[in-house]
Amino acid sequence: MQHYIFRKLSYGLLVLLMVILLVSSIIYLAPVDPARLTFGQRADVETVKAKKEALGLDEPLYYQLGYYLRDISPINFIRTNHPAIHQYNYFKIFSVSERMFIMKKPYLRDSFQQGRPVSTMLAEAIPRTLILALIAIVIALIVGIVFGIIAALNKDTWLDQTIISISILGISLPSYVTAIIFALIFGYWLQAWTGLEMQGGLVGLDDFGDEKIFWKNLILPGLALGVRPIAIITQLTRSASLDVLDQDYIRTASAKGLSFVKVIRKHLLRNALNPVFTAASGWFASLLAGAFFVENVFGYNGLGLLTVQALLSYDIPVILGAVLFTAGSFVVLNILVDLMYGLIDPRIAKQ
Amino acid sequence: MSDILLSVKNLVTSFSTDSGKVAAVKGISFDIKKGETLGIVGESGSGKSVTSLSIMQLLASNGFIESGKISFLGKHKNVENLVGLDNISLRELRGNHIGMVFQESMSALNPVMRCGEQVAEAIRLHLKEDRSTAKESVLKLFEKVELPDPERIYAAYPHELSGGQMQRVMIAMAISCNPELLIADEPTTALDVTVQKSILKLISDLQLQTNSAVLFITHDLGVVAEVADRVAVMYQGKIVEEGPVEKIFRSPQHHYTKSLLACRPPLNRKVKRLPTVSDFLKGKGNFVEKVWNSTSLKERRAVLSEREDLLKVKDLNVRFAGKKNWFGKPLSYIQAVKNVSFTLKKGETLGLVGESGSGKTTLSRAILRLAPIRSGKVIFEGENILEFGTEQLRKWRKGFQIIFQDPASALNPRMTIGRAILEPMTVHGIYNSSEERVKQVFLLLEKVGLKREHFDRYPHEFSGGQKQRICIARALALKPKFIICDESVSALDVSVQAQVLNLLLDLQEEFELTYIFISHDLSVVQMMSDRILVMNNGEIVEQGYPEDVYNNPKEKYTQQLINAIPRGIV
Repeated sequence: MQHYIFRKLSYGLLVLLMVILLVSSIIYLAPVDPARLTFGQRADVETVKAKKEALGLDEPLYYQLGYYLRDISPINFIRTNHPAIHQYNYFKIFSVSERMFIMKKPYLRDSFQQGRPVSTMLAEAIPRTLILALIAIVIALIVGIVFGIIAALNKDTWLDQTIISISILGISLPSYVTAIIFALIFGYWLQAWTGLEMQGGLVGLDDFGDEKIFWKNLILPGLALGVRPIAIITQLTRSASLDVLDQDYIRTASAKGLSFVKVIRKHLLRNALNPVFTAASGWFASLLAGAFFVENVFGYNGLGLLTVQALLSYDIPVILGAVLFTAGSFVVLNILVDLMYGLIDPRIAKQ
Repeated sequence: MSDILLSVKNLVTSFSTDSGKVAAVKGISFDIKKGETLGIVGESGSGKSVTSLSIMQLLASNGFIESGKISFLGKHKNVENLVGLDNISLRELRGNHIGMVFQESMSALNPVMRCGEQVAEAIRLHLKEDRSTAKESVLKLFEKVELPDPERIYAAYPHELSGGQMQRVMIAMAISCNPELLIADEPTTALDVTVQKSILKLISDLQLQTNSAVLFITHDLGVVAEVADRVAVMYQGKIVEEGPVEKIFRSPQHHYTKSLLACRPPLNRKVKRLPTVSDFLKGKGNFVEKVWNSTSLKERRAVLSEREDLLKVKDLNVRFAGKKNWFGKPLSYIQAVKNVSFTLKKGETLGLVGESGSGKTTLSRAILRLAPIRSGKVIFEGENILEFGTEQLRKWRKGFQIIFQDPASALNPRMTIGRAILEPMTVHGIYNSSEERVKQVFLLLEKVGLKREHFDRYPHEFSGGQKQRICIARALALKPKFIICDESVSALDVSVQAQVLNLLLDLQEEFELTYIFISHDLSVVQMMSDRILVMNNGEIVEQGYPEDVYNNPKEKYTQQLINAIPRGIV
C-alpha cells in the first residue's frame, strides 16, 4: 500500500512539474508585457524597464523558470547570503561553509498587481471556493441518489423517462449557461420573491462597511455548479441500482424475509453507491476547477474569480499559484479516491 | 392429511415477455410431507427453479402466478394459500418458516457485507435477538454447518472464502431460524465432487437433526438419488413422473425419465455413444447401447500405440509470481504445474481430472505457451515449441484450438455466428476466396448439426447446447490437429451434454483429431478418454487407462475423487 501511495505521489509531482512548464511557457511566450500592465495609461519607458527588472522579467526564460522552481520547492540548498533568502519563511537543517540546507514553505511570490503575497490571496479565496464546491456536491449527491433510485425502482415508467430526460438536459448544459439562466430567473425576475442577488461574494461589506459573510450568496452558485453532477449522479445511481437489483444477493436478502425498504437500505445501497461515491469525489476536484465560470457569472469572490482576474491582467504569480493548487488538488483527490475504493469494497482492497 | 407440510395444487406460473405471455410452469401439483425430502429433477428451462421461486413468491418482476394454490401447514404457522398473500405475512414466512439455499453462493451472498452479519440479519429479524446474542447464535450455527474457525468466518467477506465454505454460510443462513421447510435450489452445482459430497452429507445430517422437510432441486440425477426420498421429474413445465426414488431409478415409466437416466455416461462401462433425449421421445425407446469391450479396447490401443507421437511434454514446470517487491520483482512464486511429463498419440484423447486449482487448465494453457513456463520441453511433431519465435508460434497455434466452458461468453454477442466462424479463416488466410470460405462455414454448420440459415443469426438466438456447437464449429474452422476441451460440457444439461459428447467423438473419427479433455466430471472423462491423468496440486498423481484408474485407483486422492461421485442407484 505504501509503495502504491509513494508511486502515485511521485507521478503527481511529475504532473505538477509539467503543469508549471506548460502554463509558464504559454504565459511567457504571449506577446504581452506584464510590467507594462501594472501601470495605468501613462508610464514612461524607464519606469517600465525598472519594474521589469524588479520582477525579474528581463532574464532568460529558463532562468525565470529555475528561480520559480527554487522558490516553490520545499527544500533548498542555498547560499547563506542569497538575496532571495529573506523572502522565505525557512527552517535551517544544516549548513556547509557558505551554503545551507533549508526547509521552507513554498514561496509563491507576490502579486504583480496587488503586491500582496500570492499565498495570502489564495488562502483567502480557496476556502470560499471549497465551501461552494462542497455545497454543490452535497446537493448533487442527495438529489442525484434519490432521483437515481426512484428511477431505477420505477424502470421504464413515465417517472423513469422523465428523470432521464431531465438529467440528459442537465448533462448537456455547460455550467456558465446554467449559471446565467439561474441568475436571470432567481436573481432578477424572481428577485423580489427569492431575495437573492444576481451577483455577490461570500465575504463582502455590509451597510456599515464591516466585513460580513453573506451565506445566501452561496445558494445560486451552489445550485448552478451542482446541476451537471446531479444529472450525472442520477444516471450513475440509476444504472448501478439496476445492475444490483438483478443480482442474486438481492433475492437472497428478500428470501430472508427482509422488508423492501431494508433490502434497499442494507443490500442495494452499499453495492450501488460504490461507483457513485468514487465518481463524486472525482467530480469534487473538477468542481474546484469548474467553479471558474460560475464564480465569474455570479461575481463570487473565490479562487475562480481570482484566477480569471489574474488572467485578464497577466498577473503571472497568481495564475501559476492558482493553477498549481487546482492541479495539486486533482492529484491528491485521485489518490484519496483510490484509497476509498478499498474502504467501500473489500474485494478491491485485497488486490 | 396432517403430516403434509406443503401442498402445491395446479400451479401455473407465467412470464410476460416482449413476445407475449410465456408459461414456465404449466399446472403442477405435489405435496411435501413433514421431514421428507422431495427432489425435483429437470433440465434448465423445465420450470424447476420457477417452482421454488413461486413458493417463496420471489419471482422476477415480469413473472406472476396465474392460478393455483400453495398451502403451508406448519407447526407454528398455517397458511391456507400463499398465492396472493400480503407482503407482511409473506415476510414473516420467508426465512423464518421456509429457508432457501441458492445456487452459486458467490453471487447469492452480498459481496460487501461480512458473512456473519448476513446470517445474523435473519436471526435478529425473526427471532428478535439483539446484536450480541445473534452473534452467539451465528457462531453456533457455523459450528453446526462444520465451518472451521467460526470467529474468522463471521468477520470474513464472501470473496475470502472457498466455494464450499460460502455454500455452508448459505446453508447456515437458510436454517438459522429453524425453518420447517428448506428449499435447496441446485446447491451443489459448480462445486467440486468432493465438496459436493460433503455438502450433500451436511444437508441430510441437518435434516435428521431438525426433522425439517427439504425441497431439493437439481439437474443431476445422481445427486437427487443420494438425498431424496421421493423424486418428481419435470419436463417443459410439467411433472411427467413422480414417485419414490427407488422406483424412479429402477423402473422409470416416462420416456423422458428413461432418457435422462440413459444419457448420463455410466461409470461401470465405457460406451461408444450416448443416447439422447430425442432418441427416446421419438419413440425409439429401445436404444441399443454400443459398449467398448475388452477386445475392441485392445484393438484401439494397439492401433494408437503404433501411431506417431503428436505431443510430448517433458518435465514441464509452470509458476506464477506471488508477492512482488517495490520494483515489481516477484518475491515468491506459486508453482501451478510441477514436473509434468506425458505423451499423446495422434488421434488419442487424454483425459485430465482433478479438483479446481489442481493445475489442469494451467497445464493445457502452458502447452499453448499461454502460461509462464519455468522449465521443461513441449515437443510437437518433433519440434520444441518453447524455442519458437513469435511469428512461428502464431502460425503454429493455428493448428490448436480450445473449446471453453461457457459458450455464451466465448461468443461475441454482436457478431453473427457465420462471421464468428469465418473470422479465424480470414485472419489466417485459409482458402483462396471469401466465397470458398463461406461455403466452408456452411459445411461446418451442417457438420455440427446446425443449418445454413443460421449463418446470419446472433448468439442470443441459440440455446446453450447450440452455442457450444457453434464454438466447436469455430474451433474446426482452421482444421486443427489438436483441440483442448476445457470443461466444454460442464455448463450443459445432461441431455445436451450427451449430444455434444457424441458430436466430439464423431468429429474425432472424421478428422483424426487429438483431444485433451479436461473435466471435473469423472464419468464424462471416463467415457471420452483413451488415457487419464489425475492431477492434484500441480502434479500428476496417477495415470493410466480409464478402467484401471476407476476400478483400481492406486492413490488415495484418486480414491477420494471416485468415491465422491454421486452414484445414484445403479
